[in-house]
Amino acid sequence: MDIGYLNIVVAPWRSSRNHCDRCENPAFRNEKCNLWRELKFIALLLFLFFPLFLSAQTFKPENPIQFKIKNAGITVDGTISDWEVEVDFDSKKLDQSSIRGKANPESIQTGIKLRDKHLHGREYFHIQKFPSISLESKSFKAKGKNAFVGIFELQIRDVKREVEIPFTLSQTGKQQKFKGEFVIDRLDFGLGEKSLVLSDEVRIFVEF
Amino acid sequence: MKIKKWLSNLPMWLYGCMLLPLLAFGLSKQGTSYFSVLDIPRIWTDEAMKDWELPNSNPAYSAQPVTEEFYYNLPERVIYKTYPVYHPDHEPEGYWDWLHEQEAEIVFDESNLITEEDWIKAGELLFDYPIDTLGAVINIQHVRNPEFYSSTGMPLTPEGIMPFAQWVVAGKGKVYLGNLSCAMCHTRVMDDGSLLKGAQGNWPGDKAFAFALESDGVSETGVQGITNILFGSAFVEGDPHGKLMASGRESILEAYKAVPEGAFGRQGTSILYPPQAPNLIGVKDRKYLDHGGLGQHRNIEDMMRYIAMNQALDFLNFYGDYNSLGLTKERLNNGQPIFFPGTYDRHSEAQLYAIAKYVYSLTPPENPYKPSAVSERGKIIFAEQGCVTCHTPPLFTNNKLTPADGFEVPDAHYDKYDIFDISVGTDPGYTLKTRRGTGYYKIPSLLGLWYRGPFLHDASLAKLEDLFDPTRLKDDYVPTAFKPHDVKTKAVKGHEFGMELNEMDKKALIAYLLTL
Ligand code: HEC
Ligand code: HEC
Repeated sequence: MDIGYLNIVVAPWRSSRNHCDRCENPAFRNEKCNLWRELKFIALLLFLFFPLFLSAQTFKPENPIQFKIKNAGITVDGTISDWEVEVDFDSKKLDQSSIRGKANPESIQTGIKLRDKHLHGREYFHIQKFPSISLESKSFKAKGKNAFVGIFELQIRDVKREVEIPFTLSQTGKQQKFKGEFVIDRLDFGLGEKSLVLSDEVRIFVEF
Repeated sequence: MKIKKWLSNLPMWLYGCMLLPLLAFGLSKQGTSYFSVLDIPRIWTDEAMKDWELPNSNPAYSAQPVTEEFYYNLPERVIYKTYPVYHPDHEPEGYWDWLHEQEAEIVFDESNLITEEDWIKAGELLFDYPIDTLGAVINIQHVRNPEFYSSTGMPLTPEGIMPFAQWVVAGKGKVYLGNLSCAMCHTRVMDDGSLLKGAQGNWPGDKAFAFALESDGVSETGVQGITNILFGSAFVEGDPHGKLMASGRESILEAYKAVPEGAFGRQGTSILYPPQAPNLIGVKDRKYLDHGGLGQHRNIEDMMRYIAMNQALDFLNFYGDYNSLGLTKERLNNGQPIFFPGTYDRHSEAQLYAIAKYVYSLTPPENPYKPSAVSERGKIIFAEQGCVTCHTPPLFTNNKLTPADGFEVPDAHYDKYDIFDISVGTDPGYTLKTRRGTGYYKIPSLLGLWYRGPFLHDASLAKLEDLFDPTRLKDDYVPTAFKPHDVKTKAVKGHEFGMELNEMDKKALIAYLLTL
């Protein structure tokens, strides 16, 4: 799966980070890395001409996306670890701010391998057809000190829906830390079907 | 005059409505039966048979059943009174002679069936009624031979009755051994000797058949011939049954003997990959019938179709141009009867309906395994381990089909059937290499595990403990129930759930499973 890298190729100027996990991975080394070097060069040029754009950063957060769902009364904890976000957020210029995220559903883990495999399948994420999940901000509102609510467009499979995500920001110097939590109805996104034991609601935690 | 005119102007359906109350109140016996029969659907229509079954895992060889015309030209079965078969050492004195004194008595008469209970009772009678008196599996000389019982380990009731076959009296002095009642394969003699009808049967049928073939001195070609009729599937990849046939008489007999109690090589399946005899208690709630989910089960008509097909018109199915009796389509349809068990007559629709009603009415006995602190812990483990996703309460199955290893789910199936698109990795032989194979295994219900066994579709594991024993995954494992005749050891692969639990947790999980 090559999610994220698409973004670098399509919009390289958005990235000022020059680390490339998969360049260290022999399987990805060949042409992509040459391309990468060229892109860095382009990025440098762009940097000179459009320094403003550089406030947006694409990076891979340390913590995975976490989710919780109730199955037969037991809470199942899961993660999606392969994801990246692109942040251009200024709490004083909310209307110019944006947050985008992209996640690779193949990296889902729930503690049972066969279950993860099943989640890859067509009844759930159908990763062969829909290799990525995306989240894109539409608007933000302040909700008190360091607290915000964002309206995002969440795309899972081929379903796009608006979700409201309350989140907090803690800023030290240039370092921004976001933390948010929201709930979706998995059926809205065609994730599985109505079930007697598996709840419809999935609680999602993001931190980056 | 006037009234007559008025009446003649009424639409037909109003006449029907006027008759209904009379019929419902049962003013006359004939009237009521007429009403009941009206209710019973006609099941073997060309239209309905077209897509009732799932395609074969190799769809070019999906079963083509006999036509509606052929089916309804078959005579209906007459149901005589039957009598129990005793182990020779337990037969009451004079029983044999007494049997020969009896007159035939016809016991199924649908005009007597009025209430739901009547139908269920008649269904039980039919459940116990053998459709074969030609000696399809065993015959008189076997059941009157004490060695038959010792060499097959035949379960008996405390009275010494062998409940899997019955004596059919078709006229004075005409005493036949009846084979192939539902009870033959779907009755369990419990440890205390009681009979549990509909439960996973424990009739050692293939051992009994091997005994019959052996003691009758059936020749190699004879053994090959009948084995081919039962299981031949030359169209499947590698033709394992062809190879079995070629391996010779002794080897084939060994293959029959290898099938344990609780499994049976039903026609169209295999003794190389024998299907576990399913538990019929609770079958009403299952959406697919057979381990591969061959028959859809959407309503009572589907159940009736299943019974009609399996008792035993599937011998007349064509798979591509292949028919295991060696029939050609011309011979099949030339109007001459085909004298093979289950192929020259049929159950009437009323009979099928009664059997289905009876099967639906089966309830489990009281479970001696009561919930305890340990089983409650097991219940949580059952949820934590994800068992609930597939074995979803309250049926303890999500009623879906899982593809076997090596089977790619065709796109069209996702809309047509209930697919749970993950293989649990168990032996794919049954579902990829038999006439009944669909490429799937259905997710079985876990209800009634306490009175069942052996487990898994091929009855390879004797106990629930074995299912969670990781040594079963190794090639040097000796399967605790079904083990193919030509190997000493065999890994029982797949269904690797709950195997990493510690001993305490496994005990708790099993304690919970036994309460279901
Ligand atoms: C000779 C043995 C035998 C006889 C006789 C027999 N069955 Fe079965 N039956 C089986 C076996 C074995 C299976 C499993 C077949 C498979 O999965 O391929 C089965 C499967 C079934 C199923 C499917 C259940 C499920 O959950 O998948 C039903 C229903 C059923 N039988 C009903 C009946 C009824 C009713 C009769 C009598 C009219 C009958 N059977 C006669 C052996 C028998
Ligand atoms: C992915 C779905 C799935 C999950 C998860 C699953 N099972 Fe199963 N289970 C199956 C299927 C399919 C079979 C039948 C396999 C076969 O016979 O080839 C089966 C068979 C069984 C059987 C044998 C039933 C019989 O009648 O022979 C038992 C017992 C069982 N499962 C218990 C469990 C337990 C306990 C768990 C959790 C630790 C579990 N299963 C998890 C799908 C599942």
